[in-house]
Amino acid sequence: MCDNIVACTVKTPVALQIGDVKTDTARPGVFVIDVTFPHSVNLQEISFKNYYTAFVMVRLQKVDPESPESAAQWVTCLRNRCLMPSPHTEEGSQDYFSIYRQQMLMEPDNVTSIRLILRQPSSVWLNFFLEDIKITECGTENSEKNIPSWFSNLTPEEQPMNLQAGLPDPEKVSSSIQQMWALTEVMQTNQTSARVGRFDVDGCYDINLLSYT
Amino acid sequence: MANSLQPGVGGATDSRSSKPDTESEFLTQVGAGAVLRGALLKLLEIRSEDPIGFLAEHFQNLAQSLENGDSGCAVEGGNKKQHQQALQEFEEQKQHSRALWHLTQAHHSQRSAFNNNVAVAFSLLSRDDRKRKPGLKGRVYTELLRRVCRDGGVAEPVSAPLIKKLRCQDHEAVPFDLFRHGVLACFVFADFVRKSRSLFETVSQSDRSLCRAVLGSLRDALETTGCSHPARYLEASAKLTPGRLAQAMDRAQTLASGTPSTLMSQEEFIEEASALIISRVKLVS
Repeated sequence: MCDNIVACTVKTPVALQIGDVKTDTARPGVFVIDVTFPHSVNLQEISFKNYYTAFVMVRLQKVDPESPESAAQWVTCLRNRCLMPSPHTEEGSQDYFSIYRQQMLMEPDNVTSIRLILRQPSSVWLNFFLEDIKITECGTENSEKNIPSWFSNLTPEEQPMNLQAGLPDPEKVSSSIQQMWALTEVMQTNQTSARVGRFDVDGCYDINLLSYT
Repeated sequence: MANSLQPGVGGATDSRSSKPDTESEFLTQVGAGAVLRGALLKLLEIRSEDPIGFLAEHFQNLAQSLENGDSGCAVEGGNKKQHQQALQEFEEQKQHSRALWHLTQAHHSQRSAFNNNVAVAFSLLSRDDRKRKPGLKGRVYTELLRRVCRDGGVAEPVSAPLIKKLRCQDHEAVPFDLFRHGVLACFVFADFVRKSRSLFETVSQSDRSLCRAVLGSLRDALETTGCSHPARYLEASAKLTPGRLAQAMDRAQTLASGTPSTLMSQEEFIEEASALIISRVKLVS
């Protein structure tokens, strides 16, 4: 029910590679994406679009609310989530994924930063990353819109009402009344703003013809 | 039919050379194709609810107009002016009836067909043979509204308040929009009175307060949709479910159980119901 997308900064993916990034011809198999927040948030959902990433691991940097001066801790909240069942094939390679707070190992509260570690063991793909990363925050409890009271009356109650005998059939009365209501609505919506015209009777409205008495 | 032609064909071909041999030649000579095509086009234009009745009347009118066309030129000299006046009144009456007939062909809920028929009726009534003042006069318009209500089964006293709101002065010119609005209002009102009559059948044996309660829930629903917000329609319809109406009637019956019961007459019921709908019609100015 909460639709609060948090503004965050997504840093460019950093490749983790043995050897020099520039000279080594082998392509990296691990990327790390950091997402930082201006203030600590309670996460509801992390959603993204995959681009040929096989596995993802999510780590959170949490801040203890009671003692803000202490160092932030890194905890793993999702270990090796498989996005592509077979890394060499296309399945799951461009799908949309969501990670909810219920799926995480730790409660994602008071988070200041998220680290997404992407792995792609297959050498078939040229590069891989995650697109369109959105972080949703937990909303407040009373975020429900005001539902009018008559809304709950739309579905009829199951229990039979104790009606007195001798009442006219409510179905018939209801259908007649509803048709009468519809006819009145038709009448009301067909109002026209056209004004009545006056026939010009051979110039008799000419001002010179008014009497001077 | 082919068999009956056989003996004649071989023997007396000379005398029958003027008559066509095949069916298609016969039809083209008679001109039945054009007549039938015209009739079907008219039927499509009007989209009557009773197509057979419409076609019967159409052919009858056609026959009559052919007769009139022949006899029209027979009037010569004599008391020409008086005859012309009488003829003019007769023509007016006929125009009225024709316009009314056009309007009743399609029900007002079939919107495009109804609008079509209203346009045809308007052009029929606005025509003035003397070409002095083309346009629909207020007197003709008001008279037509009265007839629509009367033919729809609405009594004079019931329709009088509606006519009062919709009428135009005799000398005023009625534009098409106003004409359409007035005619539609009368047809809708006639339907409404019919419905309230059938509703009265259902509640006729009940107490006056129960009838009032039923009309009260209708008034309630109408007031809800007053501000024309779309969600209000859902709210109003929620008030008119069988469950809610049953509750309202039950409440009214319980309240009235102590006092002696009085029954409502049909006229009173219809009068109160019509007041609800007429109050929502804007006065024509």
